[in-house]
Amino acid sequence: MAFIEWCDGLAMSQAYRESLWLFTLTQTLHLVAITTFIGAILIVDLRLLGWGLVRQSPARTARSAQRILLWAGLAVLATGIPQFTANALSYSRSPVFEFKMCLLAAALVFTATLRRRVAAADEGRLPVWVPRTVGAVSLALWMSVAISGRFITYYG
Amino acid sequence: MLSIVPALEWLEALAWTTAIRESAWGYPIIETAHVASIVAFAGLVIMMDLRLVGLAFTHAPLMQIQRGLFPWQMAALVPSTATGVLLCVADPLRYYGNVFFRVKLVLLALAGVNALVFHLMAYRTDGRWDEHPQVVAGAWRAGAVSLVLWSAIIVSGRLIAFSWFF
Repeated sequence: MAFIEWCDGLAMSQAYRESLWLFTLTQTLHLVAITTFIGAILIVDLRLLGWGLVRQSPARTARSAQRILLWAGLAVLATGIPQFTANALSYSRSPVFEFKMCLLAAALVFTATLRRRVAAADEGRLPVWVPRTVGAVSLALWMSVAISGRFITYYG
Repeated sequence: MLSIVPALEWLEALAWTTAIRESAWGYPIIETAHVASIVAFAGLVIMMDLRLVGLAFTHAPLMQIQRGLFPWQMAALVPSTATGVLLCVADPLRYYGNVFFRVKLVLLALAGVNALVFHLMAYRTDGRWDEHPQVVAGAWRAGAVSLVLWSAIIVSGRLIAFSWFF
């Protein structure tokens, strides 16, 4: 609770709450960054499922997508954190927000560990169901994160 | 002057558009499907754009990336358009009077023209993409314009929720 109050009291939080422009700018940039991030997720997940850039190896596509993931991910965080701190009191009581953060943690861990290793593996080294399952799970996790974020607006 | 407002009023009064507008779940579900499919569509468009401006996926020829991604972009465009149209007809007067909605429509039209010009040029000059500096310059322009337009479309889409100016 001390952390929530600390977030709420930050100068950044106050500025954010008081400026409609800052609020709008942060939220819209958050969405553009999310779209880019999901695009970089999707291009690799499609490939793991055996679709999309089939003439390139998943490893090459994943390597190039990783840079986009990193930069877009940083932008998502940078625009997401002030949204949280400014409304820390209400977010800390929101079941939808909590659900989104749990999904996000699961998606991040899955992407940084299993998905990364499977995507980097040489083609044909793993049984075909492995990359397909990993691609499907990743797609489901990340789309759920995005959709639950949308639902915060409806059901707080 | 001829106005489309009476037509929109007629649309708004229909039983099924009223049902969507007034149902507790109908609108959020359609809107969520709209957002999810737009994120998939615009996300893949942005990936192609990043390739066109040379920032990512440069290990593969332009045309291979184009052919790999295009069917999936179209697969996501269908549900995002369908849900978008449904949202409009369910609450036509609200959108008609919203400045950001109008801006979004104009931007969508521009993005459509940009994509069409790129598409026709890309397939007409198939195979020569990565060798000819002029064609590559055209690709760079198309990618940069598309990046700007799609970012602006996402922003204006979000802003529809605000009713400033109107």
